[in-house]
Amino acid sequence: MGIISVKDLRKTYKTYKRSEKGFFKSFFRREKVLVHAVDGISFEVEKGTIVGMLGPNGAGKSTTIKMLCGALFPTGGEVKVLGYSPAKERAKYVKKIGAVFGQRSQLIFDIPPVDSFAMNKAIYGIPDDEYEKRLAEMVELFGIADVINKPTRVLSLGERMKCEIVMAMLHKPEVVFLDEPTIGLDVIAKATIRETIKKMNEEGVTFILTTHDLGDVEELAERVIVINHGKKIFDDKLHELKLLLGNKKIVDISLAAPFEGDAIDGIPVTKNDDGTKISVELDLDKTEVKEFLSGLGKAVDFTDIEIKELPMEEIITRLYTE
Amino acid sequence: MKLKVYLTCIKISIAQATAYRADFIMSTFITLLSNIFFPLVTIVIYANGLEFPGWTMWEVLALQSIFSLSRGIASMCLSSVMWATMDHVRGGSFETVLLKPISPLFYIMTTNFSVSQIGLVVGSAVVLTVSLINTGVSGVLGVLSAIVLFIGGILVAAGLFLIMAAISFIWVGNSRLDEISSSVSNFGNYPLQIFGQGLRIVMAFVIPAGMIGSLPAEVLLKGVEPLYFLGLIPCVLVLMFGVWIYNRMIKRYEGVGG
Repeated sequence: MGIISVKDLRKTYKTYKRSEKGFFKSFFRREKVLVHAVDGISFEVEKGTIVGMLGPNGAGKSTTIKMLCGALFPTGGEVKVLGYSPAKERAKYVKKIGAVFGQRSQLIFDIPPVDSFAMNKAIYGIPDDEYEKRLAEMVELFGIADVINKPTRVLSLGERMKCEIVMAMLHKPEVVFLDEPTIGLDVIAKATIRETIKKMNEEGVTFILTTHDLGDVEELAERVIVINHGKKIFDDKLHELKLLLGNKKIVDISLAAPFEGDAIDGIPVTKNDDGTKISVELDLDKTEVKEFLSGLGKAVDFTDIEIKELPMEEIITRLYTE
Repeated sequence: MKLKVYLTCIKISIAQATAYRADFIMSTFITLLSNIFFPLVTIVIYANGLEFPGWTMWEVLALQSIFSLSRGIASMCLSSVMWATMDHVRGGSFETVLLKPISPLFYIMTTNFSVSQIGLVVGSAVVLTVSLINTGVSGVLGVLSAIVLFIGGILVAAGLFLIMAAISFIWVGNSRLDEISSSVSNFGNYPLQIFGQGLRIVMAFVIPAGMIGSLPAEVLLKGVEPLYFLGLIPCVLVLMFGVWIYNRMIKRYEGVGG
């Protein structure tokens, strides 16, 4: 059994819907609506892995993470992390985990991050020498020595996010939940955060990561869980996700003269405005690359050719809409 | 251990409150000023020949300053719990509180210590001192009894703040909760004798708002009434109920859309 075990997890919210007859009627009588934010999700996670959780907005990723952190009580099902039932044994359990909610800061807004770190040191009971060592390591890793003494409100988003991660990691958690940790960050900040996550993972820390940034998943996660409408729709290795829509490649071709037809050897073609660049989605189970190139040479006069994987965005978009 | 956490969080809270120095100085000064002038209404009432039956002007001022002092001390520790809880619930950031391996109530209470309420405490203490110089006190036993009942009053005021904070988990974004708490507490701002018999019993022994001002003032100025000590039981119960309902309501927290 893994260190995280989720069985038939459910969370249902009661909310109110405004009447179609307008706000006046809604003021007196509101229609109750039950929202099944998480609807029977099950999975297990082994120690030392990085699992990426993907899904469109409102899919139930953040609600799942919050239940795993012990911040929300599940409506049904069972969660065990490190042997704890998160919501029921919250105080003992949260000592062992760390969490970063990209859109909810744990730093105190008006004072420098170093003061927030000191507060966590007292709350988690981190010994002085261990705290100093850990803080120095993380400050160096992120290059934020000049940052931690400025008030949090004046920090850039990237600086703040690095400090959020330091805050979550100071007590050496065994499992870390990251809810959109790279949201809104520039490429350099993203790269630094990804490197840090990799380094921590090498030290044995397990990460669960929700994100909309497929770069995070491709660089970090060995396993991907895709959630949509509160249900798990995919749970496997990243490589398997890429094969989900079939063993396909994209072939981009530049031509010497505009292409007039709609297909090459019966394979549909998409083309740019003047027809000098065409693109083909090649199903390798039906047509081999060698065979396609042979037919291509006879059909058109091409000047350049590029064969690449199906983009992750494409795979995810199709998965979400199916 | 818990004391260390408490002191660190209070320190952080003071650092936070004093981060904007001008705002801190202004709000402390304004709170102090408004509480030095709160006796004006009472002074005007008595200057026009009206009175609270059986109470001199200085006695009423002493009662009202005890009321403000109780509310000030309770506010310093707990009024921000109500506002902070309300903000966390409405903004969906309460999960950041739940991530701390300590009681959420303890965490919110210590990190939101309302140091600017010192103005209310100091202002009330000044008015109380001046009033007592003019009235005298009913003896050592009266003073000791008043202190005990005064502590009971702080417990009631604190309990009411917690109940309001707990309500904010289900009554999301209701900015009038503070006024509801004040309206109940305000019964303690006047001598209980001005109310009818039934309301007097309720205010002394059921929802003991009387303990916040009038009952301690009565034993301090007019002599000990042993029956009043029974009112300490509901004071403790109100606080215990406040803590219980707050912790219970945490389970109802649902966050907001992410």
